Amino acid sequence: MRRVLSSSRAAGTLGVIGVLAFWMAAAEIWGVRKGIPAPWSVVSHLQKDWHYYPTHLKATLARAGRGYLIGNAVAIVLGLAFVLVPFVEKALMQLAVATYCLPIIAIGPILQVVLSGDAPKVALSALSVIFTTLIGVLVGLRSADRTSLELVRAYGGGSVMQLRKVRLRSALPSLFTALQIAAPAAVLGAVIGEFLGGEKGLGIFMINSQQALDVPRTWGVALVATTVAGAGFAATSLVARLATPWAPRTAKAGA
Amino acid sequence: MAMTVENASPSPVANAAGDGIAITGLSKVFSLGRKKVHALEGVDLHTPQGSFLALLGPSGCGKSTVLRILADLDQPTAGRALVHGEPPATLRDSHHLGIAFQDAALLPWRSVEANIRLPLEVAGIAVQPALIAELISLVGLVGFEKARPAQLSGGMRQRVAIARALVVEPKVLLLDEPFGALDEMTRQRLNLELLRIWSERQTTTLLVTHSISEAVFLSDVVAVMTPRPGCIQALVTIDLPRPRTPDMLRSARFHEIEDQLSELLFSGGVPTSGDDV
Repeated sequence: MRRVLSSSRAAGTLGVIGVLAFWMAAAEIWGVRKGIPAPWSVVSHLQKDWHYYPTHLKATLARAGRGYLIGNAVAIVLGLAFVLVPFVEKALMQLAVATYCLPIIAIGPILQVVLSGDAPKVALSALSVIFTTLIGVLVGLRSADRTSLELVRAYGGGSVMQLRKVRLRSALPSLFTALQIAAPAAVLGAVIGEFLGGEKGLGIFMINSQQALDVPRTWGVALVATTVAGAGFAATSLVARLATPWAPRTAKAGA
Repeated sequence: MAMTVENASPSPVANAAGDGIAITGLSKVFSLGRKKVHALEGVDLHTPQGSFLALLGPSGCGKSTVLRILADLDQPTAGRALVHGEPPATLRDSHHLGIAFQDAALLPWRSVEANIRLPLEVAGIAVQPALIAELISLVGLVGFEKARPAQLSGGMRQRVAIARALVVEPKVLLLDEPFGALDEMTRQRLNLELLRIWSERQTTTLLVTHSISEAVFLSDVVAVMTPRPGCIQALVTIDLPRPRTPDMLRSARFHEIEDQLSELLFSGGVPTSGDDV
């Protein structure tokens, strides 16, 4: 087990080194002409710019956090309703699929008109997590062991009892996988929302640096946004590991 | 040891009263798309209260369907099933039913104790810790109260399933090949324990199995089923005395009944002449 873990960690490190090497080579070959700064110039720029980040980071995190909570809450409630009342699923599943197919960048301007303040950005962030979490919840609730469900039935339990005693806990591993995917998606939704305008936020900072032709800074913002999304992913996977100790998981999922 | 010399005769049942399990003209048709599958056709079974009945037959003969109808997990297409004079739905809602399947179906996040407790929680009956402790010792799992299913062997998991089936102090015990997935040695040991547990309580029991020796060793009556459509081919009263002991497994009478049953099973519904079948 330890050997498998350490070899997967080694492979991960190798992957990161590979990407860095490719990046350095690309910067060397195409360089400034194609707008590819070297990694160290991005990092040193980031250090110099660091005092700009806290306010933008805070704004983006607040939006992504609210979007994450609202979107996932909506998805979980919908998922429970779908499983308990099959008619609701027939009525609303199409709508859920439609929200997923609609390009988020196309809804942005509409939301910008309809809602005001932070709301359109939060809404975009929420929209980008609803569908994946809904599917995760549905797969999880339906993955419950059939015999266990029948057992509850044989002892006089109905579908609510089946949900309480069997389905909810069985759904957790799948729900957490969905919540993991949702964390970076919420950040992405918020950043895209910020592209539409505003004063603070990583998305706004990124657009501004790009328009100022400050290439290393644009890369720096992208790097920070990625780190934030990755941290969200990792934090959720940690919670998942603590909350579902019985569930089998691969070394990769816990990374 | 004393053996009765009467024949184990596939007569119309030992007890026609059927105040235990009473199944009359039971049929079940499953629809698979446009195709209709006759799982059961005109099944009649009657046993007295407190008796141990085994349904013996090849896989796919509908024996589990009979059990599922008694547990109110499936509805019959025609016919009637009563247990202690009550229809399955009433039995289910009054929590007089204990059930165990081939798959122990333990909830992986619950400890042994918590798994045994589950039926009580579902039924809304107050949990008495002393009862749980008693059941745990009855199935020989003392020391494993807090263990999770993943830490137990297959045999231990089935013990938990049996304890869970008994926790509501059922009037009827339905066992669907509870030891079917276990190795022969564990299976024999658990059958002995099941026998011990059953003789302490004398609960009306239906055991579904495809093991001839298991059926003979445990039951008062064995119902041999034929497949497609499933119906009762013969009822064989097992006249081995109780309490049954492991050395009976080696007795001549035991083998005689076993042979009789396997002949019934492999003759495919047509009783062979020259035999008392």
